[in-house]
Amino acid sequence: MSTAVGRLVRAELRLMTRDPLVLTFVFAFPIVTMLIIGGAFGTRPDPAFDGTNPSHWYVASYLTVVIAAIGLVMLPVHLASYRERGVLRRFAAAGFPRWSFAIAQLIVGLLTTVVACALLLAVAAPVYGIPAVHDAWRVAVALPLGAVAFVSLGVLLGSLLPSARSAQAVGLLLFFPSFLLGAGGPPPHVMGSVVKQVAGPLPLTLLTNAVRAPWLGLGPATGSLIGVAVLAVVASAVAARRTAL
Amino acid sequence: MVVDGLDLDVPTGEIVGLIGANGAGKTTTVECIQGLRKPDTGQLRVLGFDPVTQAEQLRPLVGSQLQHSALPDRLRVAEALDLFSTARARDGGELLEQFGLTPRRRSAFSSLSGGERQRLFLILALLNRPRLVILDELTQGLDPAARRNVWAAIRQLNDEGTTVLLVTHEMDEAEALCDRVAVMRAGQVIDAGAPADLVERHASTAVIRFSLPDPPAQLLDQVRRLDGVREVSRSGARVTVRGHRRIVAFVCAALVRCEQVPSDLAIYQPGLEDALLGLLDGDQGEQPGRPASAAVTSGHSELIGGRQ
Repeated sequence: MSTAVGRLVRAELRLMTRDPLVLTFVFAFPIVTMLIIGGAFGTRPDPAFDGTNPSHWYVASYLTVVIAAIGLVMLPVHLASYRERGVLRRFAAAGFPRWSFAIAQLIVGLLTTVVACALLLAVAAPVYGIPAVHDAWRVAVALPLGAVAFVSLGVLLGSLLPSARSAQAVGLLLFFPSFLLGAGGPPPHVMGSVVKQVAGPLPLTLLTNAVRAPWLGLGPATGSLIGVAVLAVVASAVAARRTAL
Repeated sequence: MVVDGLDLDVPTGEIVGLIGANGAGKTTTVECIQGLRKPDTGQLRVLGFDPVTQAEQLRPLVGSQLQHSALPDRLRVAEALDLFSTARARDGGELLEQFGLTPRRRSAFSSLSGGERQRLFLILALLNRPRLVILDELTQGLDPAARRNVWAAIRQLNDEGTTVLLVTHEMDEAEALCDRVAVMRAGQVIDAGAPADLVERHASTAVIRFSLPDPPAQLLDQVRRLDGVREVSRSGARVTVRGHRRIVAFVCAALVRCEQVPSDLAIYQPGLEDALLGLLDGDQGEQPGRPASAAVTSGHSELIGGRQ
């Protein structure tokens, strides 16, 4: 890959493997928490989990935790750091085409998602097993749409926040409530009504519903899927404009 | 307004320096030239292109070493060359060798010293055979040997026909490298010309000091009458002569003729730094408008690296 995008993707992938924040938050954190919480409620079908095996409920939910970690923590910190230190100016001055950096970040974000999700499933398989996918095409649509939406959100946050430290603070503040309310925390049935109302419209809740429900045979979750699609379109359009070099 | 009515013409193949006090607008000017900043009004042409609307065509032709920029901390030196190399790129290994960075090719950017980072930025600026090279604070942080090495590389680059725009606070660097220098203050070019011409115009007073316990009266008379001498003063055995730069040769000749050769003869010849200080101190109330040449954020435009 000798095009500008290719060179950027190659460099960014190399750098990602050397970044402790990425290795911790994107690869280790979802796997460790999935292993802990997936074993906390046993494997017998439970009404609180819509009658499904709780371990499978969390295996189906945690792919979206990977996506959120990339979009809300990894990318904002990475991009804000680049802008703060003048790396983006250097790319611009060096003649990288206007859209090359945004496209490269999208590709890197999506590749990271694929690798981290595969790793998570590889760890889950021997421990809890991977639940059968009831509605494969909806899952296959929701996951990439969600990845595009969160990668774009991450790029957008990285372009708006003034420094790496502020991006880290804001990113973690967005990530943990989203994680607890929308994917890795208690199931909606045990949440209080107010908490459930707060959790419902969160982007990660929508994405998790759009993936988990068709995966476990709990319904099509068309509303959530449409929400994720709208988010993907809007966030990617705005992010592309904001990150043009 | 940071830069106003600036007029800067950089002919092809020249090394042109941009000097001035902090906050004069030098960096803003080069950012406009590179299309990193959009001028509010006016026209700007660099190698025939508009840096804002034709950035895609222009930027591959320009190599730049920017102030306030960095590379990713964990990116290694050789990887940086790989990242910034286009199809036009020179052999990165040769450049690393030329600037003494070969032993650091596997080192992360964050582990490089300030001087090594500067050299790496210079390598990246030269990597893709640019037609115009913009160097902002080129040798900041370099030791004297590294500075000389970088100067030699710039001269070689210029010999190969590359146009260089050099922003610097180092007046010896400007004098050593630049064909022409533009002096900026408050966003405007207040004078421009060859370094020697600027010195001639704004800092032509040389000072000669020597001690003679009992100088012959005829010697001091002779010196006073020399063409270009403005002042001869004496304090005890210490004699001070001020005047045009050319008096140095005449005064020394007069001393030799009178068989008076003081062992502490000291000559101070003004340089570009004196010219800059003279310009910045002396022109506070004046409006710029000298026959300078030009770049623009508001006002009229010119050409960087063109033939006109």
